[in-house]
Amino acid sequence: MKNLRLKAARAALDLSQQQLADAVGVSRQTINAIEKGDYNPTIKLCIAICRTLGKTLDELFWEG
Amino acid sequence: MNYHFGMLIGLTLGMAAGFAVVALLVKKKVLDMHFDERQELARGKAFQYGFFTLLIAAYVYGLSDVLLGRWCDVLTGVTLCIALAICVFAITCILKDAYLSLREKPRTIMTFFALLSIINLGFGVMYHISPGLTENGVLTFRAVNPIIGFATLIILVVYVVNYLLSPRDEEAE
Repeated sequence: MKNLRLKAARAALDLSQQQLADAVGVSRQTINAIEKGDYNPTIKLCIAICRTLGKTLDELFWEG
Repeated sequence: MNYHFGMLIGLTLGMAAGFAVVALLVKKKVLDMHFDERQELARGKAFQYGFFTLLIAAYVYGLSDVLLGRWCDVLTGVTLCIALAICVFAITCILKDAYLSLREKPRTIMTFFALLSIINLGFGVMYHISPGLTENGVLTFRAVNPIIGFATLIILVVYVVNYLLSPRDEEAE
């Protein structure tokens, strides 16, 4: 399932996939795979993304 | 006796030179082994495919030797199996964007691969022109160079084609 909330949060900060990837120490393809729902990140990477985007885990990754 | 001794010296020197080049590239940070978690996962799967390819290739090579008789030197046969396994590993990694690490520069690595390919294929052509690639219909150990050359060429071509076919614009992906 696509993670549109992550994409929206990134776009709201005017960050490209590459910039977010550099900030959290992964490749651009990894961020792309998470947004497309092709890859389930570890909790460590989820937290790093949340910290960079100023969001909580619930806001970006919890499917309520 | 001299033939085997010369071969041993050549192989030892060749491997020592190879290790020295790789050590230098690691020291100069041209080669780097820092992959992210998705890449590590993809590489694990690729290692699995490469491992099973090596098992199957080694078995098929052994079987061919029994059924067809000696058609290549053992060293050449083993190199062929390893090259096949490495190609499967590398191609799987490339298709999953996990071949190069986060810090490696694609252009530098691919230039290195192109050089490696040209040098080894060059040796292959040289051995083909001045007979030595085969002896009495058996592929000799000299075929190791063209095998390595072909393997690096295949990896290079797959990398370039994959690069050209993947969308540049992230939003298009």
